[in-house]
Amino acid sequence: MKTRSDREQRVLRVNLSDGKVSMERLPEEWTHIYLGSRGVNARLLYDEVKRGTDPYGPDNILYFGTGPMDGMPVGMGRLSIACKSPRGTVAEGSAGGFFGPELRRAGYDYVAISGKAEKPVYLFIQDEQVEIRDAGHLWGLTTYETDVALRGEIPDPDTQLRYIGPAAENLVHAAVIMGNLNSCGGRAGCGEVMGSKNLKAIAVRGYGGIKPFDYDSFVEAYKVFRQRVDIRTSRDMWSPVWTTYGAPVLSRLFTDIGNLMTCNASVMSWDYEKATEISCERFLDNYAYKSKSCYCCPLPSCQKLYSIPSGKYRGFKGGNYWAGQPITFGSIIDNGRLDLLLVLSGLCNQYGLDVFHVGFTLSWAMECFEKGLLSKGDTDGMELRFGAFDEDAMVELMGKIARKEGFGELLALGCTEASKIIGKGSEKYCLSVKGQELEAIAERNLLMVALGVAVSEVGPDHTRWYPPYPCNPNLISKEELLDLGVDLDLRLAFDTRNPEQKGKLLRWFTISRAIVESLPSCVFLVRDTLGLDMRPWWYLFRAATGVDMDYGEFVMAGERLMNLDRLFNVREGFARKDDRVPYRMSHEDVPNFGYKKVDDALLNGMLDEYYAANGWDLNTTVPTRKKLAELGLEDIVDDLEVNGIEVG
Amino acid sequence: MKRIYVIEDLCSGCRLCETFCSSLPHGVFSGQSERIHVMKVPGEEKDVPMVHCDGKCIRSIFDDGRPTCVGLCPTGALYFAEQERAIQVRREYEAARKEHSIFKFIAPWKWPFPWRRPGEKKARSPMGEVV
Repeated sequence: MKTRSDREQRVLRVNLSDGKVSMERLPEEWTHIYLGSRGVNARLLYDEVKRGTDPYGPDNILYFGTGPMDGMPVGMGRLSIACKSPRGTVAEGSAGGFFGPELRRAGYDYVAISGKAEKPVYLFIQDEQVEIRDAGHLWGLTTYETDVALRGEIPDPDTQLRYIGPAAENLVHAAVIMGNLNSCGGRAGCGEVMGSKNLKAIAVRGYGGIKPFDYDSFVEAYKVFRQRVDIRTSRDMWSPVWTTYGAPVLSRLFTDIGNLMTCNASVMSWDYEKATEISCERFLDNYAYKSKSCYCCPLPSCQKLYSIPSGKYRGFKGGNYWAGQPITFGSIIDNGRLDLLLVLSGLCNQYGLDVFHVGFTLSWAMECFEKGLLSKGDTDGMELRFGAFDEDAMVELMGKIARKEGFGELLALGCTEASKIIGKGSEKYCLSVKGQELEAIAERNLLMVALGVAVSEVGPDHTRWYPPYPCNPNLISKEELLDLGVDLDLRLAFDTRNPEQKGKLLRWFTISRAIVESLPSCVFLVRDTLGLDMRPWWYLFRAATGVDMDYGEFVMAGERLMNLDRLFNVREGFARKDDRVPYRMSHEDVPNFGYKKVDDALLNGMLDEYYAANGWDLNTTVPTRKKLAELGLEDIVDDLEVNGIEVG
Repeated sequence: MKRIYVIEDLCSGCRLCETFCSSLPHGVFSGQSERIHVMKVPGEEKDVPMVHCDGKCIRSIFDDGRPTCVGLCPTGALYFAEQERAIQVRREYEAARKEHSIFKFIAPWKWPFPWRRPGEKKARSPMGEVV
C-alpha cells in the first residue's frame, strides 16, 4: 500500500477535448498559503479561467478539490467543486460523502477538467489508471439509475461516484452534481458546466493510505475537536436536536416567530397545522428508516433515508430532509402534505435538480399566476395556485423541468431569466440574487443573513456563514475573542434585528467558514465555539500537515480565500450594485411581525461596514493595494489592471 | 469476557470505526482494517459493521479501556460488554426504539437527554434507570 504523508498537493488534469491526462504537483507552499480544497480551487480558478470565458465553453475548467485533511477523520469527505458559473460569478459548492477521501487515496488532491468531449463520457480513476470511458449508455439516465448502472460495470463496491442527472445534461439552471444517491453539491452552476462538457460521471477508487505528519498530536487535537461537536459534551444547545431530529425541527418555531417563508415570502408565517404536518417528528415517526453519514462524521444522524409506507406514493424512496425542503416544497408553495413534499424533493435528487431553484421558481410562477401574469396557456393547462395545484401535474412538472419540456422549459431557466421573458413586473416576485435563487432563510428578521445573501460571491449560499442563527454569546468572553483577533461585541452582533456589527460579524463568519471548507471539513460542524475559536482546527491542521504556521497566518488563509472569490467577481465586472437583496425583501415589511424591509439605507449601512472591515473599495468592492499586499496577493494587481480594473 | 457487539440498524455507515482502527498500528489512515470493516450494501440501504476483533485495541485513544471504535461510534451501533450485559443493553435498545422514533437513529445511551416512557411520570436516564 502506498502512503501519502507529503504536504505537496497534486492536480490530475484531464482535457476532454483531446483526451490528454497529466498530473501536476502544486508548489508545497500552497498548503501554507491556501490550505487546500476551496482555497486552492479559488486560486486555480482565478489563474486559469480568464475574464470573459464562456461558462459552457471548453476553456471553463471544472475543479473537484479535496485537501490535506481529507481521508483523515476530520475531513468528513468534503469535496469543493468550483468553476465559472453560467451567471458569470465564481461558482463553488461543497459536497459531502466519500468521494474526497477516495480521490486522495488514489493519489490526487484535485481533478481539473477542461475541454469538452464530443460525446458523453465518464472518467474512471483507480490509482495511476485514468481512463476516459464512453458514457453513451448512461446519458439520459437519472442519478439513481446512473449509480446502479455504474456499480454494475465497476466491480469494486467501494468505488466512489459523482454524477449528473438529466437536468445538468440539459443545462438546466442550478443543476447539481450528485453522489452516494442523495449527496449533492455545486448548485451555483457546477452541474451545468459538467453537463456542458458531456461528462456524465467520475468514478474513483484508491488503495493508498493517508499519514498525518504527527499522529499522536493529531489524536490529541481530534479529542478536543470531538468534545466540541459530540452531542453529549458540546455546549451548543442545537447540537443534539439538530443532528438527530434534523433541520426541519425549526418549521413550527419559524412560523411562530415570523421566519417561515410562505407563499413566495409574501407572508412569513404559516398554518400551524400544516407546519406540524411537515415537521421533523412526523418525518421520523412515519417516513425515516435509516441514518446516513458522510465520511467519519461525528454527528449521529444528520442525514436519513426515507420511504413512503402508504397512500398514493407507497414505496417511493429517497434521502435527506434538510432545512430547505419544508420551505421549498412546503410553505413557500403552501403544500402541507409531507408525502408529496418528499416525493418532489426526492425527484429533484433523481433528476439532479436544485431544490432551491425549483421551489423558489415554482413559488414565483404561482404568484405570477395568481396575479394574472401567467395563464393556463403558459402553464400547460395547470391551475398554479398556492395550496391549490394539481398534484399529479406538479409531480410530472419535475421531469418537465429536467428535460426542458413545455412549461418546464420556462421554469428550467430559474426565476431571474424566466421573469425577463414574462416581464410585466414579474421580476418583483423573483427571490434571487446574482441570478441565483435564495436559500430558505429569512432575511428581514435576521440582518446578518440579509447581508450575507447580498454579498455572497456565489449567490445565496448559507454555508458561507453557517449557522445563520446566533449561538450562545456567553461561551466566550470579549477578552478571549480579542486575544483571538476577533473584535466583536457578541451580544450586539447576535442581536438579529440590529444592523450594528453585522458587517464585522459576517466578515468573521465568512473567513472562519472559508478556513473550515479549505481544510476541508464540514461547516455543519461549526458548533459550540468552533466558529469563533479556530484553534482546534489549527491544531488539527498543523498535526496533519506539519506546516509550521502561527494562528494569525491560519486565519489569514481564510481571508485570502474570501478575497480571491471577490477578485474573480470584480474581474468579471461585478461591483457593489450587484450586492443586493431581492426586491420583496427591500420593499415590503413582514406582515404581522413588525420586521421592517431591508431598504437601501439599511443595507447600505451594513455594506459599508462590511467592505470597510475587509479593506475593499466602498464602490467597486475591489480590495485595496494595501490589503492585497497584506494577504500576499500582490501578483494579482497587474492582472486586475490589465483587465481595466483600478486598484486603489 | 467482554466483546464488541453490533446493532446493525443504528450504523450510519460513516466508517469512523474502520478509519481510526486502520490508523492504530502504523499511524496511517488507510480505511482498510482487518479488525473491523463496514460493508456498504449497494443502494445505500444498509451499512453492516463486520467485527473481527477481541476488543483489545492495539492502542486505545481512550484512557478508560474502551476500544477506540466503540468510543468513537456516534450512533451507538457498537458497544463493548459482557454477554449478559450485552443482552440487557440490546433489550433496552429495542424497547427504546419502540417508544421513541429518534432511537431508530441513535442509541439511548448516546442521547444526552433522559426520556419518559408512556405511562411513566419520571424520566429515564440514557441507560434505562428511572430518575
